[in-house]
Amino acid sequence: MRILVIEDEKKVANFIKKGLEEEHYAVDNAYDGETGLYMAEVNDYDLIVLDLMIPKIDGLEVLKRIRGNRNNVPILVLTARDTVGDIVRGLDAGCDDYLTKPFEFLEFLARIRALLRRERIDKEPILKIADLTLSLVTHKVMRGGKEIELTGKEYSLLEYFMRNPGKVLTRTMISEHVWDYHFDSMTNVVDVYVNYVRRKIDKGFEPKLIHTIRGVGYILSADKSA
Amino acid sequence: MHLRSLRFKLTLWYVLILGILLTSFSGFLYFTLSKSLHRDVDNKLRSLAELIASESSSPLSKFSFGTIDQALETSMNLKPIGKFIQVLDESGNIGRKSDNLKNVQLPISLNALKNASKGLITFETNRTIGNTPLRIMTFPVVENSHVTKIVQIASSLEGVEDALNKLFLILIISVPSTLILASLGGQFLAHKALKPVDNITQTARMITSQNLNQRIHPPKVKDEISRLIETFNEMISRLDQSFRQMKQFSSDASHELKTPLTILKGEVEVMLRKERTSQEYEQTLRSNLEEINRMSQIVEDLLNLSKADTGEIRLNKEDVNLTEILNEVVVQMERLAKTKKLNLSATNHHQDIHIFGDALRLRELFINLIENGIKYTEEGGSIHIILQKEYPPPVTGEPDWVEREKGQFVKIIVSDTGIGIAKEDQERIFNRFFRVDKARSREQGGSGLGLSICKWIVEAHQGEIGVESELAKGSSFIVRLPLSPPELNH
Repeated sequence: MRILVIEDEKKVANFIKKGLEEEHYAVDNAYDGETGLYMAEVNDYDLIVLDLMIPKIDGLEVLKRIRGNRNNVPILVLTARDTVGDIVRGLDAGCDDYLTKPFEFLEFLARIRALLRRERIDKEPILKIADLTLSLVTHKVMRGGKEIELTGKEYSLLEYFMRNPGKVLTRTMISEHVWDYHFDSMTNVVDVYVNYVRRKIDKGFEPKLIHTIRGVGYILSADKSA
Repeated sequence: MHLRSLRFKLTLWYVLILGILLTSFSGFLYFTLSKSLHRDVDNKLRSLAELIASESSSPLSKFSFGTIDQALETSMNLKPIGKFIQVLDESGNIGRKSDNLKNVQLPISLNALKNASKGLITFETNRTIGNTPLRIMTFPVVENSHVTKIVQIASSLEGVEDALNKLFLILIISVPSTLILASLGGQFLAHKALKPVDNITQTARMITSQNLNQRIHPPKVKDEISRLIETFNEMISRLDQSFRQMKQFSSDASHELKTPLTILKGEVEVMLRKERTSQEYEQTLRSNLEEINRMSQIVEDLLNLSKADTGEIRLNKEDVNLTEILNEVVVQMERLAKTKKLNLSATNHHQDIHIFGDALRLRELFINLIENGIKYTEEGGSIHIILQKEYPPPVTGEPDWVEREKGQFVKIIVSDTGIGIAKEDQERIFNRFFRVDKARSREQGGSGLGLSICKWIVEAHQGEIGVESELAKGSSFIVRLPLSPPELNH
């Protein structure tokens, strides 16, 4: 899951990035409204964290312009202003949720999970395919009753696969949702990581879940014929 | 109507004054009329008496028979209606009298007789005969310096009394009824005049800190009430403004404190989510310390400002050498300027300039102003400080030196080649926590209170501070401080 954090206060942006990355999200920072808006337009983010009081382009304006572009990415607004008027303006401008500063980091994470869950129909905090399960809260991955140890990147990759079961995911899509913008797409890092994950979840288990679509990318599916 | 209401009081005073006026007027009218009527009667009596006297002493008096009426009619063709006449000889025996007296005699008092023997006229009012008072005149006729006869003429005062009684009746009825009518009219007028006051009261009662945008509707006519309403509205505006400023201030203050709090909370919470290396802990603690220091600075500045507001901070004023302070501060700030590759320079147009002030605060003032310049000037720019005496324009008619000694100022200009301040913001930059660009400023550090503190220091020295600025060209902060009196200048 790739998240854009538009926040001008560097220290706030830094701890949010650190905390989110430790939860296996890929995080990009933008320190002003202009950059934030540009990054939101260019990249395909799964969620945007937006501070309202930011330089160059005001947060509310960023919000309106993102929505104006018919971009339905979930947006969590952070604000130090906590009057009802500010909150109403934020929600009306198209944000999905808001959090007033200073906030509990646990709550912040829970709200991000909730916003990401809205995209799915079942809304369970556990993703499941065949006998493979992934808990979004505890990050525990189990297959056939056995716990599987994954590194942070491997977990992010698997989560992305499991959020999009049965869909062909190209290397570009994978790199965009699992890695931040520092990622160099010319390398074969994606293939290397997919092989790591495949070795951990498919080795010794049946049916095989990750399949290669030659020349295109990968697909996660319990159906062999896919 | 309430007894203590203004309406009641106004009416009461109005009626009271009108009552006094009407009563005194009525009294005056009554007494002048009474006096004039009585004098009239007396005059008539006197002229008649003189006539009769002349007749009595004339050969006609030999008519010892017949009535005076006949005598007067035949000799003078005169008919004195309503007058009683009797003629006495020098010893008081009654001689002739007029017909209408019939068998009655006009009384003659001892006093009148005594006066008459001396040749003096006496007027008396007698109430013993009949119901109506009689005005009796005793007129001695003097011949060869001897009183030969006494003529007494009397006239009834009935007509006079009647007229006066009627007047009295009219006055006793009309004055109170006029007063009653006047009190009703007065009440009406007072009510009409005071109605807008009631309206003001009602509106003013409804205005609380929540709806200070309300105003009292001014009447169309420009009068005292409309002036009162205008004054009221102006006062509400001022209250509104200061309430707004207070709200803005507390929201700014809380925002200013929330940012470091967010950082502290967030960094610590993220740190505590798992085991870290001691290096990471150290890094976080250092960052936390920075934020704590920033918060302390804000809180301290706020405290100082609020102490200054309530007058708790006393300036330690003494003779200080402003030039020296400025030079020290410039040397001190040069290091900071160098880190941003700024050129910091100062021009002193005069040798040492002394003023009467607080050295510590003045130093703080210069540091704040220069720091501010450094903060908002891009690398490679410059900051220049000018210190000079300023003379007010001489007033004609007065010797030059008088004015010069009195109104001397020292002018300090701190100019930078920085980003400048937009016109609409220039007025507000001295407000607490006001920041032209919130994001940029926090990055530069500071509490957002620096210029407010400058303003306070300058004003505590009876000086003034202002700014001239153009966007992208730079800003000049101009401080004027009064020079100390010449005797302290050495």
